[in-house]
Amino acid sequence: MTDPHAPALVCQNVSVTYGPVTALEAVSTAFDAGLIHAVVGQNGAGKTTFARVASGLVRPSGGHVAINGHVMRGGNVSAARAAGVELVHQSFALPPSFTVAEAMEFGATGAGRFFTRSSLFARWRPHLESLDISVDLGARIRDLPVETQQGIEIARALVTQAKVLILDEPTAVLSPSGIEKLFERVRRLKAQGVTVLLILHKIREVLAIADTVTVLRAGRLVEGPLMTTDVDGERLSRLIIGDASRGLAAVDAQALTGAGTVEHGPTDAKPVTAAPVLKLSSITTFGDPEGPALQDVDFEVRPGEIVGIAGVEGNGQRTLVRLIADFAKASRGGVYLGGHDINTQPLAQRRSKGLRIIPFERNTEGLSLSSSLWENWTARALLEKPLLRLVNPALLRSECDAALKAWGVRYDNVAQKAGALSGGNAQKVILSREIDRDAKLIIAAQPTRGLDIGATAFVWDALRQARDRGCGIILISSDLDELFDISDRVNVMLAGRIVGTFTAPYDMNAVGAAMIGAS
Amino acid sequence: MNDIIIAVLRSGTPLVYVTLAGVIAQRAGIWNLGLEGLMIIGACATILGIVVTGSITLALLIAIFFAVLASILLWFVVEKLKANPIIAGLGLTGLGLGGTALAIQSFFGSQSAVNAPFGLPRLGPAFGVYGVLSILVVLMPVVVFALWFLLCRTRFGLQLSACGEHPFAARSVGLNPSMMRLIALSIGGVPAALGGAELAAGSLQFFGQNMTAGRGFMAFAAVIFGAAHPIGATLAAMFFSVLSAIGIRAQLVFGDRVPHDLIQALPYLATVFGLWLSSRLRGGTNGAVTEIRDN
Ligand SMILES: Nc1ncnc2c1ncn2[C@@H]1O[C@H](COP(=O)(O)OP(=O)(O)OP(=O)(O)O)[C@@H](O)[C@H]1O
Ligand SMILES: [Mg+2]
Repeated sequence: MTDPHAPALVCQNVSVTYGPVTALEAVSTAFDAGLIHAVVGQNGAGKTTFARVASGLVRPSGGHVAINGHVMRGGNVSAARAAGVELVHQSFALPPSFTVAEAMEFGATGAGRFFTRSSLFARWRPHLESLDISVDLGARIRDLPVETQQGIEIARALVTQAKVLILDEPTAVLSPSGIEKLFERVRRLKAQGVTVLLILHKIREVLAIADTVTVLRAGRLVEGPLMTTDVDGERLSRLIIGDASRGLAAVDAQALTGAGTVEHGPTDAKPVTAAPVLKLSSITTFGDPEGPALQDVDFEVRPGEIVGIAGVEGNGQRTLVRLIADFAKASRGGVYLGGHDINTQPLAQRRSKGLRIIPFERNTEGLSLSSSLWENWTARALLEKPLLRLVNPALLRSECDAALKAWGVRYDNVAQKAGALSGGNAQKVILSREIDRDAKLIIAAQPTRGLDIGATAFVWDALRQARDRGCGIILISSDLDELFDISDRVNVMLAGRIVGTFTAPYDMNAVGAAMIGAS
Repeated sequence: MNDIIIAVLRSGTPLVYVTLAGVIAQRAGIWNLGLEGLMIIGACATILGIVVTGSITLALLIAIFFAVLASILLWFVVEKLKANPIIAGLGLTGLGLGGTALAIQSFFGSQSAVNAPFGLPRLGPAFGVYGVLSILVVLMPVVVFALWFLLCRTRFGLQLSACGEHPFAARSVGLNPSMMRLIALSIGGVPAALGGAELAAGSLQFFGQNMTAGRGFMAFAAVIFGAAHPIGATLAAMFFSVLSAIGIRAQLVFGDRVPHDLIQALPYLATVFGLWLSSRLRGGTNGAVTEIRDN
């Protein structure tokens, strides 16, 4: 029974259906104890569903899960937790008004049902310290930066003696240094004997951290667990997206798999001389709730170029987007869109001039999760019409249907709520709405976060095509590979200023140094 | 001065009890607009209980029984029949108001009020002018403290709040939000019944149709004003009572020069003002991200 290499988690013919959608179909696999396992697959492949079945949140319609040899009754979280399985969700799940200490306590089991504020702090401080999370235990969850929130989620999952820890796309919300720290933490857990399952999209990350990799596609097990020493990036991308991988341009494949240094994708390299579509002239903004104020930013985007913005998250990227979207105000300087001063214009007017935004937060800023897909999708067109114009819902629905199909969104029908889509598919809905024929300036803020490699390449192509049509594009990303691959020029932001401009061929070290101000 | 304090305690105590019932429901995620119904059920059952059994203890137990039963009914309609909780709560209020009227008519013919031979025990002459207050007034701070402890200082309380604020998070740690709501509503039935009992048998000794006169809704306003915190909501309820006491004084002083309705509206105006103030102080909340895939 205590054989260290007996499988910690076994799935036998697990199937899950949501109404007409089959999310998992007869998946059988086994994960050895004490290793780090990656689970990969396209958006909507069923990764999250798999994690929820293993953790008891979703009851499989067929098959079963066994933990450390014990067959679980499906759909019982308490039993799964008692057996040692814990799940950290893709979009975090802690009550936002709770303090850190309360967030630890509410999921705890065992003795100590009463507490005072200080006894609660005393109970959980050592736990957080042992995980190397330094945070004020009285801070509220909603006030914490996302990296700390994730740390708290992991700490929450470890309040009981977890033997199997499942992390659903933990790297999607993290900066490169945050990812490094997360991997450090995961390795330490492995050293303590915890079996870790990581759901990942980036092949580079899989190869860097995992011992084995398991591939799902359209609810079925494709292969796995394979030892990562036996696979390379190319094979893995073929397993994930199937034959489609043959269509990938070589540079994209490299940026996606992280094999070798990324070079700038081929462009026709015609020097762009047209008048800038966006121009910021010595802009200084007021302080902003979502990041540092911009200081003396001079910046322009010409039609037909992709301008990348690199920088550690929280250095003014959000303020930049908010300025262009009329959420943050300039105290000095001018904002020009297509040559017009738009400083005093509301967002709707800016949009009618061709401004499009793919926002940072898809669930709160990009979509209304409780509205239907077609309502979300038609918001763009409706915004530009006079308030009392009649609309034809049937026509809008069929337009939406066609657009979403063209973008390869996996959905059931356009009346579905946006919240029922898998994370990656939700992002595609936003892309299909914001990248249209009338777009003149597209701001893409982390557009490929949480997307699978096929979808990522798809987005890159869509952005390139928009550029070739004459759009100006601002690409904000924390993924340098992505920036180097598709940007014609990369600006680095630090503390609300633009501290460097780079052109291809990019020097990874120089950009990295500029990002942390070590030049 | 003493008589003002007594007046405030007398009108405030029933309100506080009912408010507490609202607080615990709110924490578990149910906007309980049935408080008015629960309160009047408590009031009616107490008086009828006294008349029928002749025992105040039995009368209180009967009141609690019916209020808890009505709360469970609300839970069933909301959680099992998936009705809109606001509508269901209003339905419970209607049921309480109509049901109690029906009850006294079927017991006592076509009367619209019932008198009881005695009410709740008083503190007695040892407490001087305060001797006229009922024991439920003195018990009130104890109940407030107990509920505060339960909600804010126990793991159960945290779990209850989690079920209300983020049901998916609660489910992820193995809780059953629906069951927690049943527990919360059932517990809430107890103070709601006590609030009704104090209203009908605290300083008075009778039950009349519609005698709650919107106090349940005022209690709900106190829940919101007090941000569903037991202490905050209690203070809000007492604040409303002070406002109405001032209103009554004003009426005596100014007579008809100030519209009666305006004075009655004071607590509600105060609520609107308080909500505006607290949202200004707290700053815009960036709408909690809830995962609607939770089902
Ligand atoms: N509650 C639900 N109701 C209806 N369909 C659902 C529900 N949850 C998931 N699905 C569907 O099941 C499929 C698998 O979804 P799942 O979330 O497991 O994908 P995923 O692999 O995690 O994708 P991503 O990489 O985008 O997060 C998708 O087609 C999704 O739309
Ligand atoms: Mg997922």
